[in-house]
Amino acid sequence: MTSLLDESPVSVMDVLRGERATRPLANATAAAGLRALLEDGLFELLGSDLLETPLTLRASSLRPGPFVNDPSLATLAQVRGILINEALRLMSVGLDVSDVYGEALLAWRADVGSNEMTNYVDQLDDDERARLATDVTAHGVTLKRSLGPLSNRWLPRTSFRAYQRLAGGNVVLRDVIDLMVGTTTSDVASVALLDVTTSPLGEGAERIMRYHALVQTLRTSIAPLRTSMFSTASGELWSIDVDDELLTRSVADVLEVVSRMVVPA
Amino acid sequence: MTTLTHRRLSRNVLNRLIDDAPTNPPCLTDDHRRSLSARFRAVASVEHRRLDAWMVERAGQPFDAFRWSPTTAKRVVGNAALRHSINDPTLTRFDAVDIELTDQLLRVTSGYARPGSLASYLAQSSPAVLGLVSAEAANWTTQLGEAAESIAAPWSVATSDAYYDVARARTTLRGRRDLIIPRGLSRILLRVRAGAPGKSAGPGLRADLTIDALAEPTGLAAARVIGLWPEAGVVLSVDGTMEDLRRGARDLVRTAVASQRRTLLRAA
Repeated sequence: MTSLLDESPVSVMDVLRGERATRPLANATAAAGLRALLEDGLFELLGSDLLETPLTLRASSLRPGPFVNDPSLATLAQVRGILINEALRLMSVGLDVSDVYGEALLAWRADVGSNEMTNYVDQLDDDERARLATDVTAHGVTLKRSLGPLSNRWLPRTSFRAYQRLAGGNVVLRDVIDLMVGTTTSDVASVALLDVTTSPLGEGAERIMRYHALVQTLRTSIAPLRTSMFSTASGELWSIDVDDELLTRSVADVLEVVSRMVVPA
Repeated sequence: MTTLTHRRLSRNVLNRLIDDAPTNPPCLTDDHRRSLSARFRAVASVEHRRLDAWMVERAGQPFDAFRWSPTTAKRVVGNAALRHSINDPTLTRFDAVDIELTDQLLRVTSGYARPGSLASYLAQSSPAVLGLVSAEAANWTTQLGEAAESIAAPWSVATSDAYYDVARARTTLRGRRDLIIPRGLSRILLRVRAGAPGKSAGPGLRADLTIDALAEPTGLAAARVIGLWPEAGVVLSVDGTMEDLRRGARDLVRTAVASQRRTLLRAA
C-alpha cells in the first residue's frame, strides 16, 4: 500500500504506523542480495583498486544537481533545517515546544558546542536573525500541527545515523534518519522511517526515501515497513511501503550516483 | 594470532557469538599485575594518567577536554534507564529515561552531587537541553535494549565500568562494558559503540578485555568481548585468550608512552 497525500494528513504518525493488522512479515532475506547487487555494480564502476579517498554518499547526493558539501557555505535554509530537526527531537520526547526557534537553538548549541554553523548564526545581523526566527517558527507550527501523538511504546529514535562501507571501503553510504519508530526484533515489519525536510517535496524526494530504506536494510539486515518524507514547507507527506522492487531501485540510484561521481558530467 | 572476528549485524549474530565463545578463559596472576605495574612505572608521568580503549584507538592523541552534552550524557542515562525498565517491565524506555533524569536531579537537590558531575550538568540545563538529553538517551537505551532482547541467554546491564588502579604507577585504567552475559564462572561482555568501527577497533576491544580481567579480583578474563556498532550494522569480537590479554596490556602501555611523548614535546 502506498500513500501519496496532497494535503496535510490528520497526523503524520497515523500514516507512519498504519494498520497494525496489515503489516507483512519482516523481510530478513533481502539484505544479502542487495549487498551483492551493490558490490557487483560498484566493482564494475570502480574495479578492485583502492581509491585514495573513499566516495561518500549521503541522502543529499541523490538530489538532482551538482554535489555541494562545504560547511563554510552555510545558508539560512540549512540552519532552518537543523533547527526544525532539533524541534522534532524535542517533540519526540513529549516536550511542549512553545518557542520553536529559541528552544531548538538552545538545544542545538548544547549539543554541538561551537562550529562553523553556530558561528554563522552568531554573525547574522538583526534582520537576518529575525527572518530565521520567523521562518523556523512557521515551519515548527506546521510540524507541531501535523506530527500527531507519538507513543513511547513505538520506540521513537531521532537523528539516527547509519553508515555502510562497500567495495572494500571505496564507497561509504552515510545516512541520518530524522525519526524512526518500531523495532527490528518483531516478527512483522514494524520499522517506519521519517525524513522531515523544510523544502517542498519534489524531484529526488522519492529517491531519498528509497535511500533511507536501503541503508536501513543493509544496516540491520531487516527491511523497514515504510519510508516517509514530510515537508514543513508545504505540509505534504509522502509515504511508501518498502518492498523488494523499491530496494532494488535504490541500488540502481546509488550506482547511478557513484557513476556520476567517478565520471563527473 | 589474534581472535578478532568481524560480522555483519543480523538477527542471530549475537546469539551465535555467545554460543561459540571459548569456555575456559585464562586468569591473570599477581605476576602479571606486577609486570604491568613495572612497565607503567617506567613511563614517568607528572599527572595522574587515565587510560581507556578510546585512547588506545587514538594512539594516545590528545582530544578536547571532556564536557557534558546530550551526546556525552546518553550512555550513562541510557544504561541506567535500561536497568530501570528491567526492574519494572511496565515502564516504557522513555518513562525509564525520565525516572533516571529525575533521580539525577534529586541527587542535586539532596546535596549528593559534586560539581562537574552529570547531575550538576542536568540541574543547570534548560528544559530544551533536558529534552535533547532524553532524546539521545532514548536512542541509546532503545539500541541497547534491542541488542539485549535478541540475546537468548540471561544478561544484565553492567552497573559500572571496570576500573583498575595500577599499583604505584599513578595510572587508572577504565574498561567500558554495557551488558554482561554470565558464562560458567566467567562472563561475556558486550559494548555498544556509536559511529563506525575504525582500523583500531580491535585493539580497543582488547584493551577493554584486559582492563576487565585486571579489575576482576580473581583475574579471570571474560570469555569474549563483543563490540556492537548498531549505526554501522557491524559486530566485532575478541576472545579472552592469554595472547589477546597480552596484546591488550601492550597496547595500553604503548598508549601511555605515546601520550607521555606528546606531553614532553608540547612542553619542549
